[in-house]
Amino acid sequence: MNESKVSIRYANSLLNSAIEKGNLQTVASDMELVFSSLQSSEELSRTLSSPVIKPQLKSSIMEEIFRSKVSKETMDFLKFVIDKNREDLLESIVTKFLELRDQQEGIVNVNVQSAVELSDDQRENLRQNFEKVLSKKIRFSFNIDPNVIGGFVAQIGDRVYDASLKHQLEILKKRFLKGGASLN
Amino acid sequence: MAEVRPDEISAILRKQLSGFESETDIYDVGTVLQVGDGIARVYGLSKVMMSELVEFPNDVFGMVLNLDEDSVGCVLFGESTKIKEGDTVKRTKRVASMPVGDAMLGRVITPLGIPVDGKGAIETEKFLPIERKALGVIQRQPVKEPLQSGIAAIDAMIPIGRGQRELIIGDRQTGKTAVAVDTIINQKITHTKEAQEMGVKPVYCIYVAVGQKSSTVAQVVAKLQEHGAMDYTTVIAATANEPTPLQFIAPYSGATLGEFFRDNGKHALVVYDDLSKQAVAYRELSLLLRRPPGREAYPGDVFYLHSRLLERASKLSDDLGGGSLTALPIIETQQGDVSAYIPTNVISITDGQIYLESNLFNAGVRPAINVGISVSRVGGNAQIKAMKKVAGSLKLDLAQYRELEAFAKFGSDLDVSTQRTLSKGARLVELLKQGQYSPVPVERQVVSIYLGTNGYLDNIAVGDVKRFEKEVLEFFEVKNNKIFETIKKEKQLSDATIADIKKVADEFIAVFK
Repeated sequence: MNESKVSIRYANSLLNSAIEKGNLQTVASDMELVFSSLQSSEELSRTLSSPVIKPQLKSSIMEEIFRSKVSKETMDFLKFVIDKNREDLLESIVTKFLELRDQQEGIVNVNVQSAVELSDDQRENLRQNFEKVLSKKIRFSFNIDPNVIGGFVAQIGDRVYDASLKHQLEILKKRFLKGGASLN
Repeated sequence: MAEVRPDEISAILRKQLSGFESETDIYDVGTVLQVGDGIARVYGLSKVMMSELVEFPNDVFGMVLNLDEDSVGCVLFGESTKIKEGDTVKRTKRVASMPVGDAMLGRVITPLGIPVDGKGAIETEKFLPIERKALGVIQRQPVKEPLQSGIAAIDAMIPIGRGQRELIIGDRQTGKTAVAVDTIINQKITHTKEAQEMGVKPVYCIYVAVGQKSSTVAQVVAKLQEHGAMDYTTVIAATANEPTPLQFIAPYSGATLGEFFRDNGKHALVVYDDLSKQAVAYRELSLLLRRPPGREAYPGDVFYLHSRLLERASKLSDDLGGGSLTALPIIETQQGDVSAYIPTNVISITDGQIYLESNLFNAGVRPAINVGISVSRVGGNAQIKAMKKVAGSLKLDLAQYRELEAFAKFGSDLDVSTQRTLSKGARLVELLKQGQYSPVPVERQVVSIYLGTNGYLDNIAVGDVKRFEKEVLEFFEVKNNKIFETIKKEKQLSDATIADIKKVADEFIAVFK
């Protein structure tokens, strides 16, 4: 519980300072890079969370990996986090930062599951409709799940827009079972 | 054999399906982080309400009891083995509720209103939340009508009024359930035409079994059926093998069903058997939800657990129909220790208590009510005048008897008046003994207590008191049936009635052997 409080605090301050300095775009793309490297390399995240490795060593490792790839502000932030002994929370800080950035810019992530690959037309149609309903910019991620059978399931945060055949069939099944409740 | 044509079948199917519209369904979800011991921690469900029902896979439902910063704690109403980490949880957008209606009478249901007696679905239209706020001061009025338990000792000295909360407390095997079941059986009188003519409104009963053996519940249901009491009774069963959350909410379900009757201007009686087990179930849930334990490891809000439940018992004002909900909570003590945490809590919440004692029970005083320490704080206003008149001297006589009882063991060194008090007391105690499942109507109680307190028993051997009572009441029935009728109608003992009673009693004494 405290973890998320701490990460929000760090992420918020990074976001605010980036907005102040007017380099949100750069910092955000840097953070995306950090995020993807943490995601792809388990060794890196293990190194960061290990209490055995000294902070100085962690700091120089991070510097070596990211120096040529990120801006000075980002590098400073990474060092600052390590300096404060919060490097084990780096991944959650970065995640929170990206979430806050999306909120700031009015972007929502929509995860769409469908049984078959959607055509470009269909995707565009979905985008337009969701933008109209949510009045926000949409960032899509598409998954294929044959269990959906037909239609699609779109998830935005905790909310699900379910227009799948699977769900319709489930509702139908419930309806039929309800009529036969006298059997129990 | 009749034939069914295929096109007929498809026509019916089409008709059934015609109301079905396919449209996008919008719902909120979360993910199970951790599950076990009937508790699930869920990530997501960001807009969920406190005590909302949530749907897990495999038709398991849960109720939200903890709203933490980044997770939600739910209790499960089904098997936790059917749920895995990572499962999707759906909001239902309604707080835990149960169906209510007259159709519930005569049925055995779970705390969520699902029938378990194999008599088919229950047709009800209304749903009410299980947790409801108790009514305020304006909506209530003082308790003023009697709820006859049919047990002479209770109706005379610890009277219960409609809308009262009277605790039944005692060790195991002292007849707590028996008192409650007898009270339910005695409400049969209120459903007769005769009672209606006299303005006595029917009392609908709810028996909530919490954490009991299924066999015990089956026994109670069978007894109620045998005495024709199931017609106006609902049994809510959360037996020992049900998930703990169901045992925790069962009393609230009972109160909700009772409130349905009350709010429709009817009268209801709900028996919570027993609240110690509910407290234990709640303690289990609280500890699993990692709430800090307090005294006896109960959570800090265990007092509120019972106070908010019992506060729902009430007598409505006439503007609201004048309905009532009477509560008879039961508490089981360990070795007579009423100063344990839960007993003291419930004693302080209720409007009086009926103490049952195992040494009285073993001495053959049944119901084993200790009338010395049992009290009813409001019921006196609800007694009929006739009973009030005879009960006054009964209480006094018994109090004097108890005071002198210890001396009785020293035998003959006592003066005459002490001996007289003792012999009278012994006969009165004998008179108040009563078999199980045999409630006595109030007019008969009045007559026998009148005879007891006015010296008619003094020359009868203690062993013959019960036989005397039975025979004298039969004699009254044959000789002057009107006496009972008058007491029932006038609700008081006029001088004329007393004279009648004396006359018939004298006649009987002369022939009694």
